[in-house]
Amino acid sequence: MKLFLHKLRSLSQRRRKEQELREELEFHLDEEAEQHQADGLAAAQAREAARRDLGNLTITQENTRAMWTWTILEQLVQDLRFALRTMAKNRGFTALAVLSMALGIGANTAIYSCMDSILLRSLPVDDPESLVVLNWHSKVPRQTRTSQRAVHVMHSMDGSTYDDPRKGMIAGIFPYAAFELIGRTDSVFSHVFAHYPSGNRTVQIKGQADRAGGAFVSGDYFRGLGVVPAAGRLIAAEDDRVGAPPVAVLSFALSNRRFGGPANATGQSILIDNVPFTVAGVAPPEFFGVDPALSPDFYLPLRTNLVVGGEFTPNYIDQNYYWLEIMGRLRPGVSLSQAQAVLAPAFQNWVASTAANAEEQANLPALVLKQGAGGLDSLRRQFSKPLNVLLVLVGLILALACANTANLLLARATARRRELALRRSLGAGRLRIIRQLLTEGVLLSTLGGAIGVLVAVWGIRFLTLLLANGNESFALRADLNWQVLGFTVALSLLSGVLFGLAPAIQATRTDAMPALKETRGSVPGMSAHRAFFRINLSQILVAAQIAMFLLILVAAGLFARTLANLQSVQLGFMGEGVLLFQLNARQAGHQDPEIVTFYSDLRDRFEAIPGVRNASLSHASLLKAGRQHPVSVAGVPAPGTRFLYTGPGFLTTMQIPLLRGREIDRRDQPGSPAVAVVNELFAKSNFGTRDPLGQHLKIGGTGAREVEIIGVCANTRYGGLKRDMPPVVFLAYNQVLQFSRVGQQMTYALRITGDPASYVKAIREIVTHADARIPVTDIITQTAEIDQTINQEIVFAKLSMGFAILALVIACVGLYGTVSYNVARRTSEIGIRMALGAARADVVWMVLRDVLVAASIGLAVGLPVTLGTSRYVESFLFKMNANDPLSLSLAVIVLLCAVLVAGFVPARKATRIDPTVALRQE
Amino acid sequence: MSSKQPTRVELLQGTLDLLILRTLLAGPSHGHSIAKHIQRTSEDLLQVETGSLYPALHRLEAKGWIGASWALSDKGKRAKYYRLTQVGRKYLIAEQSKWDAFSRAMSLILKPSEEEAQ
Repeated sequence: MKLFLHKLRSLSQRRRKEQELREELEFHLDEEAEQHQADGLAAAQAREAARRDLGNLTITQENTRAMWTWTILEQLVQDLRFALRTMAKNRGFTALAVLSMALGIGANTAIYSCMDSILLRSLPVDDPESLVVLNWHSKVPRQTRTSQRAVHVMHSMDGSTYDDPRKGMIAGIFPYAAFELIGRTDSVFSHVFAHYPSGNRTVQIKGQADRAGGAFVSGDYFRGLGVVPAAGRLIAAEDDRVGAPPVAVLSFALSNRRFGGPANATGQSILIDNVPFTVAGVAPPEFFGVDPALSPDFYLPLRTNLVVGGEFTPNYIDQNYYWLEIMGRLRPGVSLSQAQAVLAPAFQNWVASTAANAEEQANLPALVLKQGAGGLDSLRRQFSKPLNVLLVLVGLILALACANTANLLLARATARRRELALRRSLGAGRLRIIRQLLTEGVLLSTLGGAIGVLVAVWGIRFLTLLLANGNESFALRADLNWQVLGFTVALSLLSGVLFGLAPAIQATRTDAMPALKETRGSVPGMSAHRAFFRINLSQILVAAQIAMFLLILVAAGLFARTLANLQSVQLGFMGEGVLLFQLNARQAGHQDPEIVTFYSDLRDRFEAIPGVRNASLSHASLLKAGRQHPVSVAGVPAPGTRFLYTGPGFLTTMQIPLLRGREIDRRDQPGSPAVAVVNELFAKSNFGTRDPLGQHLKIGGTGAREVEIIGVCANTRYGGLKRDMPPVVFLAYNQVLQFSRVGQQMTYALRITGDPASYVKAIREIVTHADARIPVTDIITQTAEIDQTINQEIVFAKLSMGFAILALVIACVGLYGTVSYNVARRTSEIGIRMALGAARADVVWMVLRDVLVAASIGLAVGLPVTLGTSRYVESFLFKMNANDPLSLSLAVIVLLCAVLVAGFVPARKATRIDPTVALRQE
Repeated sequence: MSSKQPTRVELLQGTLDLLILRTLLAGPSHGHSIAKHIQRTSEDLLQVETGSLYPALHRLEAKGWIGASWALSDKGKRAKYYRLTQVGRKYLIAEQSKWDAFSRAMSLILKPSEEEAQ
């Protein structure tokens, strides 16, 4: 820095230095003259003699000045000024290069900032590096047909498990007993704390009900993370005890939204699922919990789930119930591997004692400690692969833009051969010229990077919107920060060097003499060799561009076709014109059996809204449902059967065709015989050709209920679009309460006419009138819900199509530019050819053929690469092969068309060359 | 310049730097007096061309071996005075011993008889 300042000063002092040199030499002259005078010469003669002695003053000055040596900075300023002049002279070229760089760098920055926020960023807590997340991995258990249950010690789980290609199955949820065990082993951890997401709860503040997500946290959670409250105090160990006064910690955002600030919230009383809590304090604004996927609005002591949840008591006792996410903070000086070495055997011993039989004993989960700086990794698991794929795509676009700019620069460098040769023959060093050309490249890319940041700002907003897809609780905190900007700067410089280097090397490799002797516009060796693109860097660059372009096109084709496949999937029901929303009466305090009447009364009132043709309800929407129970037909189990608990008229509302019998309707009341409608698949696999009507099903293990089949309906999607349609049993929600668990929440489905938004007010009024404590949530049309379930595919298709168009523009512009330059350089040659009688078609073909040769080389390289790499995106595809022939051939056709168009325009221009004009150019 | 012309010796490449540095060992001095000092001390055998003196001075300054500052000369005129820096001093010492070895080697080869006569 000091050195830089010094250089800067020397730059500003340059003029003064000149002045000083003059003064110094003047002084020398004076001294010399004085000496001559002392020797006896007259003043004028003495002066004369001194001048003679000194010799050529200008040369001395010149030589002395040369000794000052241009500092790097001064040279940089020279280079920059020259580069700016060159850029200003070629405005079209500059705009093109900068724009393509801006798009490339902007897209990369946007994707990178999403990656940064999801995959790389540390939790905003004290010393995140010493945090550890506990996971276990185990082999995927064999599923036996008879038991329908996986055989391992994880008898039941509440949380996410992930498939791991190497380890089988991996998860971060543990029984309470394991949490206690880890807490007792205090030699490695200074704090151990647990987290359990509460899901959405009804929060009543000042009489107004709202749904908000929260987290149950153990007593050491905030202390272990080292979080400082924004107001009041945070949850401590004494709050996490049975019988302790219930306290809650609110997120900064919620306290602002509902209390107007953290200070106002502290000490207030709120109701969560109708249970009173006192707000003890407010978390700091940057804190979002330990799971970047969730952004809890409130934090409750772990044991309050006994009063809020109601059914959690067994969780604390059952050693085979896996539900708690555990993190720890390493003691100073303890490494992750040391902790692993201490804890893994302890866990191993404990978990072995929970195995019920030898089979379970044989497949025990093993404890794995992971770096916890980034918190829990659900979001990372969900997004790391898609984001990596996107990053590769935008990386390709940037490479394409780089190759493009390099090629344009290369073409221009050829046009500048004389200039460069002149500069070299005047004594410019090779390095100096390379530096000059690099400066031009870096300047272009820096400008591109600067505009790219603007593109990125817009891109991040767009991406967040796209990824969230109307999901309000989506908490992606992607933004530009120093790290991201650093990435952009590095990227710009790197790409600048990359595309500046190619022409620089090319330009300085040539000898000065032949280039100087050339006349403008001619290229040595051209007449001897008919290759239009010089077979060198330029050709390689064009081929590389074509190859990268092909990759992007194929990716776009694959993702677009996947989306098309998904959108044309047979639903089995009529999605259009259905409005869905959720209610949770239990969280507002409604109990069995009154809650059944409450829900059913609401249904009647919704159906009475003008414009509503049918109304029904189910425990979840068809696409989000996922209920399984043991079920048997005449003693034979029917594995893989799914359940849906519905109200009357569900099939009519969803327009699911009824094939036989009747659907569940108003006749099916809590007291009447329990009934079921099964879908065709269930009927076929369990009854074959027999008539299922009137047959009985046995549902549940202990305390099983018998239900009678009253109807058969067509198959529908269940639990998502991508899965095969499963066998489904529809039950009346009001008849089998012990299974349906009515009151977790109910999803209403209304078949409406006209604008869905116009019904929302009426729905809210009806619910408020019935019970103001119940919020109406998740209002969405069935069509939008479908889009939500295939959001990732939509995002991929949209983005990759966008990228493909971007790549198309960049590649066409680049090819067009390169070919135009080459045509311009060969003006005289083409003139001669035409003068000698070449037809226009010959000239066009001559130009086009060379473009096509380059394209073929690109294709020859690109196709195997595409075939080799497309399997990496196989998991993103639906109902298609990664090497889908249609996508491939479409990509090749689009590519060839683009190449032909980009080549044809300058080729046409070449035919308009007037031979006489062209020849006179020399 | 004086009319009597003693036989001049061409400066060996690279030796001017050494001469300048050695001259400055005695204390700060301006360009003209450096030239005169070299000329005088070498009994007029060496004459430093102004055309090479100032480039050399500026080169040495850029290298950091000598520093420069403006001061009033003994006749009261503003002059640029050069002085030896620490780095320059070290360089001078190293170069001087190299030069000594070199000149001894030269004389050993060129005047072997003298050596034998002793």
